[in-house]
Formats: sequence, C-alpha cells, structure tokens
Amino acid sequence: MKRYDLIIVGAGPSGLSAAIEAAKRGMNVIVFDENERPGGQLFKQIHKFFGSKEHKAKVRGFVIGKQLLDEAAETGVKVILNATVIGLYQDKEIVVKIGEAVEHYKGNSIIIATGAAENMVTFPGWTLPGVIGAGAAQTMMNIHGVKPGSKILMLGSGNVGLVVGFQLLQCGCEIAALVDAAPRIGGYGVHAAKLARTGVPFYLSHTIVEAEGDACVTGVTIAEIDSSFNFIPGTEKHFDVDTICMAVGLSPMSQLLKMAGCKMEDNPKRGGQVPICDEYGRTSIPGIFVAGDVSGIEEASSAMIEGRMAGIAAAEYLGYIDENELNKELASLDKALSGLRQGMFAPENRGRLIEKTDEGIAVSDSLLKKGYVADDEIERFPGFTHTKGIHPVMECTQNIPCNPCQDACPKGCIKIGKDITALPAVDDSVSCIGCGMCVASCSGQAIFLVDETYEEGYASITMPYEFFPLPEIGIKGKALGRDGQIVCEAEVINVKSLPAFDKTNLLTIKVPVEYASKARFFKAE
Amino acid sequence: MVNDRLRDIGEFVPSADDDMIICRCEEITKGEIRKAVHDGMFTLTEIRRYLRCGMGLCQGQTCSKHVKNIVAKELGISPAELEPATSRVPMRPIEMRIFANEAKEVRSDE
Repeated sequence: MKRYDLIIVGAGPSGLSAAIEAAKRGMNVIVFDENERPGGQLFKQIHKFFGSKEHKAKVRGFVIGKQLLDEAAETGVKVILNATVIGLYQDKEIVVKIGEAVEHYKGNSIIIATGAAENMVTFPGWTLPGVIGAGAAQTMMNIHGVKPGSKILMLGSGNVGLVVGFQLLQCGCEIAALVDAAPRIGGYGVHAAKLARTGVPFYLSHTIVEAEGDACVTGVTIAEIDSSFNFIPGTEKHFDVDTICMAVGLSPMSQLLKMAGCKMEDNPKRGGQVPICDEYGRTSIPGIFVAGDVSGIEEASSAMIEGRMAGIAAAEYLGYIDENELNKELASLDKALSGLRQGMFAPENRGRLIEKTDEGIAVSDSLLKKGYVADDEIERFPGFTHTKGIHPVMECTQNIPCNPCQDACPKGCIKIGKDITALPAVDDSVSCIGCGMCVASCSGQAIFLVDETYEEGYASITMPYEFFPLPEIGIKGKALGRDGQIVCEAEVINVKSLPAFDKTNLLTIKVPVEYASKARFFKAE
Repeated sequence: MVNDRLRDIGEFVPSADDDMIICRCEEITKGEIRKAVHDGMFTLTEIRRYLRCGMGLCQGQTCSKHVKNIVAKELGISPAELEPATSRVPMRPIEMRIFANEAKEVRSDE
C-alpha cells in the first residue's frame, strides 16, 4: 500500500489549489478525480469571473482552470484521472477504483474536495428526455460543443441559472422564459440584465406545473404560486419548448466524510449534509480536511481560497510549516475570503431583501422582479452620468465584490475605492478617451460608453457584445432597451475586437439622441 | 419521537401525483414511498432497504433529498429530524468483478 503525505479527492478548483499549496511546502501529494479531465466545473465556465484583480477577476473560468493545472504540474502534484474513490476507511485509508482494479492508499492527511451535485425538482414529466440540469447544459455546450436544445425554459434565477441561461443564448438557443419560485431574482442583477436586454422574460413566484410530451419534452406549463407554494388557479402559462433546464441549487457530495466518521450536520444554509469544520477546513477527525462546495455551497473563487487554506493547514498538521507561518499565511487568505463574502450576496444575506445599497440608494425593484433596472430608476446610481463627449455609463447597481473596472481605465475615470463592494462612480474631472477597456473588463457586462454629442441629433452607444455572428459596420437594425423591447432604429458604426478585450467585442451603434439613455442592445434586421 | 412506532400518522390518503417517479434509477414512485411510511418504515435506512430507492446507479445523488422530504411530510416532521441513510462502500456503483479485483502491485508511474 502506497503512502502519501496528502491525498486529495477531487481535482476541481479547491482540490487543485490545496494540492499546489501543500506541494509548495514540500509535501508528497496525490490527487484522485473520477472524471476524465481535471478542473472540476472550471472548464465549463466560459464567462469572466467576478472579484478583485488579485483573485483572477475578469479572467474566464477555463483560463483559471488552465493556470491551476500548470501550477499544479510545476509544483509536482500528481493528478490521477478516471480514479473513483469508493471509500474512506479508518486511519485515512482510501480505496480507489482505477481501471479494472481497486487500489489502496494511505494518507498522512486527507483533503476531501469532492464538490457538489445538482438538485432537481420533481413535477409530472420531470423524467422525460429534455429535462436536464444546468451543469449538463454546460457540459454539452462548453465541453462537447453540442447544442442542448433549441427552445429552452430555464428554472432557477440564481447565478447558475443566469450564467448558463446567457451561455445558452450564446450557443444559439432561444430562452422562452426564466422561471423561479422565489419572489425575487437570486443571482447578480448584472447577470439578469444581460438576459433581459436580449428579450428573455422573467417569471418570478412561478414554478413548473408539468412538462408535456410522450417520448421527450414538447412543452411546459408554469403557474404562479402563493406564499405557501400553492399554485394560483388561472395563472397558468404554456410554452412550446424542447428543453427544460434546471438550476435549482446544489447539494454537497459529503458521503465520504460521513463514512469516515466525521461529525456531520444538516445545514440548509450550506446546502445540506456537511461536515462540521472550522474556517480552515479542519473536520472533527484530525488530519482530515475539507475545501470547496463539499463543506458548503459557494462558488469557484472562494473554493480556490478555501483549498489554499486547507492545503496550508494540512502542511502545518504534518509539521511542514510551523504555527507562525501558518497564521501568517492564513491571515492574508482570510482577508481575501472575507472580501469575497461581502456585499448584498454575502452568505449571511441569503434570502434577505435588501432595500438600500451601502451608499443609501434604493435598490431597483424592477431588477429584482423583471431582471432589468427600469428607465426611471437608473439615473439614481452613481455610475450613470451625463457628460459632454464620450464617457462610461456603469449600470452596476448592487454591492457585489468586484472591482476590475477601476483598474481597467488608463485615465482613472472610474472610482470604487477601498471597499470592493462599493458601486463604481465616474470621476468627472478626468476625461474619457473612449478606449473601451472598462467595457471589456466588466464581468457583468454592465458598462457602456455613451456619447450624446456623437453627431447632430445622434448619440453613439458602445456595448459589450459576445454573440456570433458579429454584426458588421453599416448594418442596420433595432436598438433594444434594458427590458429587451425595441426602442428605436440603430446602425452599427464600429466593431472592435482587441486581444486586450479577451473576446468581449465592443459594438458601437448610432441612435437618435433621445434614446441615448435607453438603448442597450442591438438586434440586426 | 421520530422512531416512535406507536405514533398515529393517520391513514394513507391517495394523491394525484402518486405515480410520479422519484427514484429514477430504481423506478420508485412517490406513492410507493408514502405507502412505505404507512407500512411502518419511519427511517430513511428502512425506506431504502424496503424499496431500494437510492440504491441504483446514482446512489441517491438525485432522489435522496426528495425521499427525505416526502417521508418527513408523511410523518409530519421537519426533514432535518430524519437521519440520513448510512454512507458506505462502494461510494460509487462498481462492477463486482472490479470490486473484488485488488490491484496486485503499486502503480508503476512513481
């Protein structure tokens, strides 16, 4: 039986991060993953991540995955794929199915980073082909290049539902409706706004009554629900769809920990059965650590920090570093993690209605219920300004931990300040050169360049555009408002695609000046 | 209290969605799970042994939350009061011939 200093189960963002930190400190580390590719869910994430520059904000998920794999290889971490851990026994013995046999390993320490599995909801017809999880949709689109369906209903308005919904649009699918049983959109407003401006309708306080079809999904009926989750008769709505995509939360895959005898708890706030552990992933059994979604559902950025913490804690457990070094290293990671857990979407605010931003501005009600900030609400936010000439307009209206826009502007036009969750504001004393770096840097695609004095009677609007085919200069079409409705005629006057924009194209359209504050999307004729 | 078999949970009342499949792998319906509770299966472990739900290919990854909620509702308790079923080897489905095939030697990729 082979013995390692550290055995890690799961080669996702947290497992790999843990492996890197442990290996850097001289530990002999092996990582098992049951999948044929490493990286967990990272390689399915084609969107730019939120956060701060130090934590890979505005970098696309799959690029972060590549960086992690490179770092793991450099530090000598061994990753064994197609290796299914089937048991975790006494004294840290791990049994792994590799190929046609089972192998036994002993770890002086163990980190469980198995992640989570998708939840499903049941309704008549939920077992029909065509009802899929959001993760399956991402696997099909972003790993295998297969379109999951043509007309889709998305259930779930958390960040997963919103992000995958947008990716489905990018993939060429139509989203018939975005539905959530909750009365308010659960994910970031900027993610919802990306969908709403293309015309996706949101149905909050609604859920699925039934899926129709004999051999596969051919339609779906939704209805409004009251506060005790009962359908309200007469509110049924029918959609002809071929796919129902569910993004209704995740459950930690914590069974190995339970088997090993770690103390567990049923904690709905953390997603279900989770091990009882401290903030650095130490479970009730000395030498067994956890990191990432298995210890409570969050997202990839915090999973990577948790992984680093667990890796360092394991190094200290085995004496590879002393307590002083441990505390020093953990202090900086603590700061990073608490930064990510601030703002309106912080874990402690889950499910709470926040009426005002930290700046004391009333939150957009329309954004929470319809997915877009209404025309009469947008003016009150600090990123929305009217200056002569070209200038950024930032439709970022919720306190979320993200600040790449501040560093993107070479002129220093954009101010967020020390507090990473503050709303971005425009510094009027600095003049914008219209480079568009801020537009491309915004992971929420919420920054536009507006020039209300573009030419007599016309304004120009530059927007982030991540769809194919890319419209050509001179093409005429319609400008759509934040709500996805047609507001006016528009003409494409510029298309910019620079390597520095990292595949976010900048589309500039010309609209009658009176629509400068309304037009936010372009649809070719 | 959860395990008090003398507790009166009332008669089994049929419901319109009783034939909806909950455990896809073993094709167990909502009605079968509800009836099992009235047959005296008050714990998730008993339900699993009685019906095999959660013992198929996905090992309960999809249905265990649903089964838990259905059983809790039938017993008139909160799902958190129900002990989850035991976690044991093999954690993932595995063919018996592989399960029984201990690797002869340590991997040579060291």
